[in-house]
Amino acid sequence: MAELSFVTGLSHAPGMTGWLDRASEQEQKSLTEGFNLLGEKLRATKPDLIIGLANDHVLNMPVDDTHDFCIGTADNWTGPAEWFRDRVNVDPYSVRGNSPAAQLLFDGLSGCGFDIISKSELLFDDNWSVPLKYLTPYYDIPLVPIHMNCIVPPIPAPRLCFEFGRAVQKIIEDDLPANMRVAFMGTGGLSHDPGGPKYFDVDEEFDRWFLGLLEEGNPEKVLRECTPARMSAAGDGGTSELIAWISAMAMVGDRKAITACYEPAVELRCGMGCVYWEMQREPKDV
Amino acid sequence: MGITDTKKELAANQMIFDVRRDPTLYTDFADNFETIMESYQLSNEERQAFRDLDIKKLGELGVHPYFLPQVSRLFHGGAYNHNNSPSAQAYGKSVVNGEGKTR
Repeated sequence: MAELSFVTGLSHAPGMTGWLDRASEQEQKSLTEGFNLLGEKLRATKPDLIIGLANDHVLNMPVDDTHDFCIGTADNWTGPAEWFRDRVNVDPYSVRGNSPAAQLLFDGLSGCGFDIISKSELLFDDNWSVPLKYLTPYYDIPLVPIHMNCIVPPIPAPRLCFEFGRAVQKIIEDDLPANMRVAFMGTGGLSHDPGGPKYFDVDEEFDRWFLGLLEEGNPEKVLRECTPARMSAAGDGGTSELIAWISAMAMVGDRKAITACYEPAVELRCGMGCVYWEMQREPKDV
Repeated sequence: MGITDTKKELAANQMIFDVRRDPTLYTDFADNFETIMESYQLSNEERQAFRDLDIKKLGELGVHPYFLPQVSRLFHGGAYNHNNSPSAQAYGKSVVNGEGKTR
Protein backbone atom coordinates (compact mmCIF):
# COMPACT_ATOMS: atom_id res chain seq x y z
CA MET A 1 0.00 0.00 0.00
CA ALA A 2 1.11 3.53 -0.74
CA GLU A 3 1.59 6.08 1.99
CA LEU A 4 -0.14 9.45 2.27
CA SER A 5 2.83 11.55 3.31
CA PHE A 6 1.54 15.11 3.21
CA VAL A 7 -1.80 16.92 3.00
CA THR A 8 -2.32 20.60 2.35
CA GLY A 9 -4.92 23.20 1.45
CA LEU A 10 -3.80 26.39 -0.25
CA SER A 11 -4.97 29.37 -2.26
CA HIS A 12 -3.95 29.80 -5.87
CA ALA A 13 -5.08 33.29 -6.90
CA PRO A 14 -3.08 34.50 -9.91
CA GLY A 15 -2.00 37.69 -8.18
CA MET A 16 0.37 35.54 -6.10
CA THR A 17 2.60 35.19 -9.14
CA GLY A 18 1.16 37.88 -11.40
CA TRP A 19 1.21 41.08 -9.36
CA LEU A 20 2.34 40.26 -5.84
CA ASP A 21 4.47 43.42 -5.84
CA ARG A 22 1.23 45.44 -5.62
CA ALA A 23 0.46 43.98 -2.21
CA SER A 24 1.87 45.58 0.92
CA GLU A 25 5.42 44.66 1.85
CA GLN A 26 4.12 42.88 4.92
CA GLU A 27 1.70 40.80 2.82
CA GLN A 28 4.39 39.99 0.28
CA LYS A 29 6.73 38.80 3.01
CA SER A 30 4.13 36.78 4.89
CA LEU A 31 2.74 35.04 1.80
CA THR A 32 6.11 34.35 0.21
CA GLU A 33 7.48 32.89 3.42
CA GLY A 34 4.33 30.88 4.07
CA PHE A 35 4.10 29.39 0.58
CA ASN A 36 7.82 28.66 0.54
CA LEU A 37 7.52 26.97 3.93
CA LEU A 38 4.69 24.86 2.57
CA GLY A 39 6.89 23.80 -0.34
CA GLU A 40 9.71 22.87 2.04
CA LYS A 41 7.33 20.83 4.18
CA LEU A 42 5.93 19.01 1.17
CA ARG A 43 9.30 18.25 -0.41
CA ALA A 44 10.70 17.08 2.94
CA THR A 45 8.24 14.18 2.85
CA LYS A 46 9.82 13.12 -0.47
CA PRO A 47 6.58 12.35 -2.32
CA ASP A 48 6.71 10.27 -5.47
CA LEU A 49 3.40 11.72 -6.59
CA ILE A 50 1.17 14.71 -5.92
CA ILE A 51 -2.56 14.25 -6.29
CA GLY A 52 -4.13 17.67 -6.67
CA LEU A 53 -7.73 18.81 -6.50
CA ALA A 54 -8.68 22.24 -7.83
CA ASN A 55 -11.44 24.26 -9.44
CA ASP A 56 -11.68 23.84 -13.20
CA HIS A 57 -12.46 27.57 -13.63
CA VAL A 58 -14.81 26.58 -16.49
CA LEU A 59 -11.77 26.03 -18.68
CA ASN A 60 -12.07 22.33 -19.48
CA MET A 61 -15.69 21.62 -18.64
CA PRO A 62 -18.19 24.00 -20.33
CA VAL A 63 -21.08 25.42 -18.32
CA ASP A 64 -23.57 23.12 -20.02
CA ASP A 65 -21.52 19.96 -19.49
CA THR A 66 -20.00 20.03 -16.05
CA HIS A 67 -19.17 17.08 -13.85
CA ASP A 68 -18.29 17.12 -10.18
CA PHE A 69 -14.78 15.86 -10.90
CA CYS A 70 -12.49 15.34 -13.90
CA ILE A 71 -9.22 13.48 -13.51
CA GLY A 72 -6.26 13.99 -15.79
CA THR A 73 -4.79 10.75 -17.08
CA ALA A 74 -1.87 11.97 -19.20
CA ASP A 75 1.76 11.08 -18.56
CA ASN A 76 2.88 14.65 -19.10
CA TRP A 77 1.36 18.06 -18.44
CA THR A 78 2.25 21.54 -19.55
CA GLY A 79 1.17 24.96 -18.42
CA PRO A 80 0.13 27.68 -18.13
CA ALA A 81 -2.37 27.59 -20.99
CA GLU A 82 -1.29 30.26 -23.43
CA TRP A 83 -4.05 32.83 -22.91
CA PHE A 84 -3.43 32.80 -19.16
CA ARG A 85 0.36 32.92 -19.36
CA ASP A 86 0.95 36.65 -19.11
CA ARG A 87 -1.64 37.05 -16.38
CA VAL A 88 -0.29 34.25 -14.22
CA ASN A 89 3.26 35.35 -15.03
CA VAL A 90 4.66 31.84 -14.74
CA ASP A 91 7.15 30.62 -17.33
CA PRO A 92 6.03 27.66 -19.44
CA TYR A 93 6.61 24.42 -17.57
CA SER A 94 6.24 20.71 -18.00
CA VAL A 95 5.49 18.24 -15.24
CA ARG A 96 5.14 14.49 -15.44
CA GLY A 97 1.80 12.84 -14.80
CA ASN A 98 1.16 9.28 -13.73
CA SER A 99 -1.25 7.58 -16.07
CA PRO A 100 -1.49 4.24 -14.22
CA ALA A 101 -2.20 5.94 -10.90
CA ALA A 102 -4.75 8.26 -12.52
CA GLN A 103 -6.51 5.32 -14.12
CA LEU A 104 -6.63 3.48 -10.78
CA LEU A 105 -8.11 6.55 -9.16
CA PHE A 106 -10.63 7.01 -11.96
CA ASP A 107 -11.73 3.38 -11.85
CA GLY A 108 -12.03 3.39 -8.08
CA LEU A 109 -13.81 6.73 -7.78
CA SER A 110 -16.27 6.06 -10.59
CA GLY A 111 -16.90 2.67 -9.03
CA CYS A 112 -17.86 4.47 -5.83
CA GLY A 113 -20.52 6.37 -7.75
CA PHE A 114 -18.87 9.78 -7.95
CA ASP A 115 -19.68 11.95 -10.96
CA ILE A 116 -16.20 11.84 -12.43
CA ILE A 117 -14.86 11.82 -15.95
CA SER A 118 -11.32 11.49 -17.24
CA LYS A 119 -9.41 13.53 -19.80
CA SER A 120 -5.97 13.06 -21.26
CA GLU A 121 -5.81 16.74 -22.18
CA LEU A 122 -6.40 19.55 -19.70
CA LEU A 123 -5.55 23.22 -19.84
CA PHE A 124 -3.91 24.55 -16.70
CA ASP A 125 -4.40 28.12 -15.52
CA ASP A 126 -3.67 29.53 -12.08
CA ASN A 127 -5.25 26.44 -10.47
CA TRP A 128 -2.00 24.45 -10.86
CA SER A 129 0.44 27.06 -12.09
CA VAL A 130 0.51 29.02 -8.83
CA PRO A 131 0.74 26.05 -6.40
CA LEU A 132 3.37 24.25 -8.47
CA LYS A 133 5.51 27.38 -8.73
CA TYR A 134 5.86 27.46 -4.96
CA LEU A 135 5.57 23.83 -3.94
CA THR A 136 7.67 22.21 -6.65
CA PRO A 137 9.65 25.00 -8.33
CA TYR A 138 11.62 22.46 -10.39
CA TYR A 139 8.44 20.66 -11.48
CA ASP A 140 10.13 17.41 -10.54
CA ILE A 141 7.30 15.62 -8.73
CA PRO A 142 4.67 13.94 -10.93
CA LEU A 143 1.14 15.32 -10.69
CA VAL A 144 -2.24 13.69 -11.09
CA PRO A 145 -4.58 16.67 -11.48
CA ILE A 146 -8.22 16.36 -10.52
CA HIS A 147 -10.36 19.26 -11.67
CA MET A 148 -13.64 19.89 -9.92
CA ASN A 149 -16.71 22.00 -10.49
CA CYS A 150 -16.80 24.64 -7.78
CA ILE A 151 -18.71 27.41 -9.54
CA VAL A 152 -21.38 26.07 -11.90
CA PRO A 153 -24.47 24.97 -9.94
CA PRO A 154 -25.16 22.33 -8.89
CA ILE A 155 -21.87 22.28 -7.04
CA PRO A 156 -20.84 19.14 -5.13
CA ALA A 157 -21.81 19.48 -1.49
CA PRO A 158 -19.12 19.72 1.20
CA ARG A 159 -20.20 16.33 2.58
CA LEU A 160 -19.78 14.75 -0.85
CA CYS A 161 -16.35 16.35 -1.21
CA PHE A 162 -15.44 14.97 2.21
CA GLU A 163 -16.49 11.49 1.09
CA PHE A 164 -14.54 12.02 -2.12
CA GLY A 165 -11.42 12.76 -0.10
CA ARG A 166 -11.98 9.63 1.96
CA ALA A 167 -12.34 7.58 -1.22
CA VAL A 168 -9.14 9.02 -2.68
CA GLN A 169 -7.30 8.19 0.52
CA LYS A 170 -8.58 4.61 0.47
CA ILE A 171 -7.39 4.15 -3.11
CA ILE A 172 -3.99 5.59 -2.20
CA GLU A 173 -3.65 3.20 0.71
CA ASP A 174 -5.20 0.11 -0.88
CA ASP A 175 -4.45 0.31 -4.59
CA LEU A 176 -1.45 2.48 -5.40
CA PRO A 177 1.93 0.75 -5.49
CA ALA A 178 3.60 -0.26 -2.26
CA ASN A 179 6.32 2.15 -1.11
CA MET A 180 4.88 5.01 -3.15
CA ARG A 181 4.67 8.22 -1.15
CA VAL A 182 1.79 10.52 -2.06
CA ALA A 183 1.09 14.15 -1.23
CA PHE A 184 -2.41 15.54 -1.60
CA MET A 185 -3.20 19.19 -2.19
CA GLY A 186 -6.63 20.76 -2.30
CA THR A 187 -6.33 24.22 -3.76
CA GLY A 188 -8.69 27.19 -4.09
CA GLY A 189 -10.18 30.00 -2.01
CA LEU A 190 -10.10 31.61 0.40
CA SER A 191 -12.77 34.34 0.10
CA HIS A 192 -12.97 35.93 -3.33
CA ASP A 193 -15.63 36.88 -5.81
CA PRO A 194 -14.45 36.80 -9.42
CA GLY A 195 -17.25 38.14 -11.58
CA GLY A 196 -19.34 39.32 -8.66
CA PRO A 197 -20.05 42.57 -6.84
CA LYS A 198 -17.36 41.81 -4.22
CA TYR A 199 -14.65 41.57 -6.87
CA PHE A 200 -12.39 44.00 -5.02
CA ASP A 201 -13.23 42.72 -1.52
CA VAL A 202 -11.89 40.07 0.81
CA ASP A 203 -13.95 38.68 3.70
CA GLU A 204 -11.25 38.52 6.33
CA GLU A 205 -13.69 37.56 9.08
CA PHE A 206 -14.87 34.52 7.14
CA ASP A 207 -11.33 33.50 6.21
CA ARG A 208 -10.04 33.64 9.78
CA TRP A 209 -13.13 31.78 10.99
CA PHE A 210 -12.59 29.01 8.42
CA LEU A 211 -8.90 28.65 9.21
CA GLY A 212 -9.74 28.57 12.90
CA LEU A 213 -12.21 25.76 12.29
CA LEU A 214 -9.56 23.68 10.54
CA GLU A 215 -7.15 24.34 13.37
CA GLU A 216 -9.63 22.77 15.81
CA GLY A 217 -9.27 19.34 14.19
CA ASN A 218 -13.00 18.62 14.23
CA PRO A 219 -14.10 17.62 10.71
CA GLU A 220 -17.74 17.15 11.65
CA LYS A 221 -17.89 20.69 12.96
CA VAL A 222 -16.43 21.99 9.71
CA LEU A 223 -19.03 20.06 7.73
CA ARG A 224 -21.79 21.28 9.98
CA GLU A 225 -20.83 24.95 9.97
CA CYS A 226 -19.07 25.63 6.66
CA THR A 227 -22.19 25.47 4.54
CA PRO A 228 -22.48 26.36 0.86
CA ALA A 229 -24.54 29.40 1.86
CA ARG A 230 -21.84 30.63 4.20
CA MET A 231 -19.16 30.22 1.56
CA SER A 232 -21.32 31.96 -1.02
CA ALA A 233 -21.93 34.91 1.30
CA ALA A 234 -18.17 35.36 1.57
CA GLY A 235 -17.85 35.64 -2.22
CA ASP A 236 -20.28 33.92 -4.54
CA GLY A 237 -17.90 33.53 -7.45
CA GLY A 238 -15.03 31.69 -5.83
CA THR A 239 -15.10 31.03 -2.10
CA SER A 240 -16.74 27.66 -2.65
CA GLU A 241 -13.39 26.48 -4.01
CA LEU A 242 -12.77 25.64 -0.37
CA ILE A 243 -14.59 22.37 -0.96
CA ALA A 244 -11.19 21.20 -2.25
CA TRP A 245 -9.76 21.86 1.22
CA ILE A 246 -12.64 19.86 2.70
CA SER A 247 -11.60 16.89 0.57
CA ALA A 248 -8.08 17.31 1.94
CA MET A 249 -9.40 17.53 5.50
CA ALA A 250 -11.13 14.18 5.00
CA MET A 251 -7.74 12.48 4.89
CA VAL A 252 -6.32 13.69 8.17
CA GLY A 253 -8.62 12.29 10.83
CA ASP A 254 -8.70 14.55 13.87
CA ARG A 255 -5.38 16.17 13.18
CA LYS A 256 -5.36 19.93 13.57
CA ALA A 257 -4.43 22.08 10.60
CA ILE A 258 -1.37 24.26 10.90
CA THR A 259 -1.76 27.60 9.19
CA ALA A 260 1.44 28.52 7.36
CA CYS A 261 0.20 31.98 6.42
CA TYR A 262 -2.88 34.10 5.87
CA GLU A 263 -3.31 37.58 4.47
CA PRO A 264 -6.51 39.37 3.44
CA ALA A 265 -4.79 40.46 0.25
CA VAL A 266 -7.19 42.96 -1.26
CA GLU A 267 -4.74 43.84 -4.00
CA LEU A 268 -4.71 40.17 -5.03
CA ARG A 269 -8.53 40.15 -4.83
CA CYS A 270 -8.43 37.04 -2.66
CA GLY A 271 -7.98 35.92 0.89
CA MET A 272 -4.64 34.16 0.54
CA GLY A 273 -3.35 31.45 2.79
CA CYS A 274 -2.30 27.87 3.22
CA VAL A 275 -2.51 25.10 5.79
CA TYR A 276 -0.95 21.69 6.19
CA TRP A 277 -1.41 18.69 8.39
CA GLU A 278 1.40 16.72 10.05
CA MET A 279 0.74 13.22 8.73
CA GLN A 280 3.79 11.74 10.46
CA ARG A 281 2.16 12.29 13.83
CA GLU A 282 -0.74 10.34 15.23
CA PRO A 283 -3.99 12.32 15.30
CA LYS A 284 -4.16 12.25 19.09
CA ASP A 285 -0.79 14.01 19.28
CA VAL A 286 -1.74 16.97 17.15
CA MET B 1 -26.46 38.40 -10.51
CA GLY B 2 -24.58 35.34 -9.32
CA ILE B 3 -23.53 31.90 -10.36
CA THR B 4 -27.10 30.59 -10.00
CA ASP B 5 -28.26 33.09 -12.63
CA THR B 6 -26.11 31.59 -15.37
CA LYS B 7 -27.99 30.67 -18.52
CA LYS B 8 -26.14 27.57 -19.57
CA GLU B 9 -27.56 27.56 -23.10
CA LEU B 10 -26.54 31.16 -23.81
CA ALA B 11 -24.47 31.39 -26.99
CA ALA B 12 -22.07 33.85 -25.35
CA ASN B 13 -21.15 31.26 -22.72
CA GLN B 14 -20.13 28.77 -25.37
CA MET B 15 -18.25 31.45 -27.28
CA ILE B 16 -16.25 32.66 -24.29
CA PHE B 17 -15.48 29.10 -23.23
CA ASP B 18 -14.02 28.37 -26.65
CA VAL B 19 -12.26 31.70 -27.15
CA ARG B 20 -10.00 31.35 -24.09
CA ARG B 21 -8.90 27.93 -25.30
CA ASP B 22 -8.16 28.78 -28.93
CA PRO B 23 -5.39 31.12 -30.10
CA THR B 24 -7.11 31.59 -33.43
CA LEU B 25 -10.04 33.09 -31.53
CA TYR B 26 -8.44 35.05 -28.69
CA THR B 27 -5.65 36.55 -30.78
CA ASP B 28 -6.94 39.94 -31.91
CA PHE B 29 -10.36 39.14 -30.42
CA ALA B 30 -11.03 42.86 -29.96
CA ASP B 31 -10.67 43.37 -33.70
CA ASN B 32 -12.51 40.24 -34.80
CA PHE B 33 -15.29 39.76 -32.30
CA GLU B 34 -18.07 40.69 -34.73
CA THR B 35 -17.11 37.78 -36.97
CA ILE B 36 -16.77 35.45 -34.00
CA MET B 37 -20.13 36.53 -32.56
CA GLU B 38 -21.73 35.82 -35.92
CA SER B 39 -20.26 32.34 -36.06
CA TYR B 40 -21.66 31.56 -32.60
CA GLN B 41 -25.05 33.11 -33.44
CA LEU B 42 -25.19 35.45 -30.48
CA SER B 43 -28.46 37.30 -29.97
CA ASN B 44 -28.67 40.98 -30.81
CA GLU B 45 -28.65 41.83 -27.11
CA GLU B 46 -25.52 39.80 -26.50
CA ARG B 47 -23.79 41.39 -29.50
CA GLN B 48 -24.66 44.92 -28.41
CA ALA B 49 -23.38 44.24 -24.91
CA PHE B 50 -20.03 43.18 -26.38
CA ARG B 51 -19.94 46.27 -28.62
CA ASP B 52 -20.60 48.47 -25.59
CA LEU B 53 -18.28 46.37 -23.46
CA ASP B 54 -21.19 46.35 -21.05
CA ILE B 55 -20.01 43.63 -18.69
CA LYS B 56 -22.88 44.23 -16.31
CA LYS B 57 -25.37 43.59 -19.11
CA LEU B 58 -23.61 40.37 -20.08
CA GLY B 59 -24.06 39.17 -16.52
CA GLU B 60 -27.73 40.11 -16.59
CA LEU B 61 -28.15 38.15 -19.82
CA GLY B 62 -26.78 35.03 -18.12
CA VAL B 63 -23.08 34.96 -18.89
CA HIS B 64 -21.36 32.99 -16.12
CA PRO B 65 -19.84 35.43 -13.61
CA TYR B 66 -16.42 33.81 -13.87
CA PHE B 67 -16.31 34.81 -17.54
CA LEU B 68 -17.08 38.48 -16.93
CA PRO B 69 -13.63 39.73 -15.86
CA GLN B 70 -12.23 37.58 -18.64
CA VAL B 71 -14.36 39.45 -21.19
CA SER B 72 -12.73 42.63 -19.93
CA ARG B 73 -9.31 41.03 -20.36
CA LEU B 74 -10.10 39.99 -23.92
CA PHE B 75 -10.39 43.68 -24.76
CA HIS B 76 -7.93 45.25 -22.33
CA GLY B 77 -5.31 42.53 -21.88
CA GLY B 78 -4.59 40.30 -18.91
CA ALA B 79 -0.99 40.99 -17.96
CA TYR B 80 -0.23 42.57 -14.59
CA ASN B 81 -3.91 42.45 -13.75
CA HIS B 82 -3.83 44.44 -10.50
CA ASN B 83 -6.74 46.48 -9.24
CA ASN B 84 -5.77 49.57 -11.22
CA SER B 85 -5.10 47.71 -14.45
CA PRO B 86 -7.29 48.71 -17.41
CA SER B 87 -9.17 45.40 -17.43
CA ALA B 88 -9.90 45.41 -13.69
CA GLN B 89 -10.92 49.05 -13.83
CA ALA B 90 -13.31 48.44 -16.74
CA TYR B 91 -14.88 45.55 -14.85
CA GLY B 92 -15.23 47.68 -11.74
CA LYS B 93 -16.78 50.55 -13.61
CA SER B 94 -19.32 48.36 -15.36
CA VAL B 95 -20.27 45.88 -12.62
CA VAL B 96 -19.19 47.11 -9.21
CA ASN B 97 -20.06 50.76 -9.87
CA GLY B 98 -23.07 49.67 -11.92
CA GLU B 99 -22.36 51.96 -14.86
CA GLY B 100 -22.87 49.24 -17.49
CA LYS B 101 -21.39 50.45 -20.76
CA THR B 102 -17.69 51.15 -20.67
CA ARG B 103 -17.39 52.50 -24.18
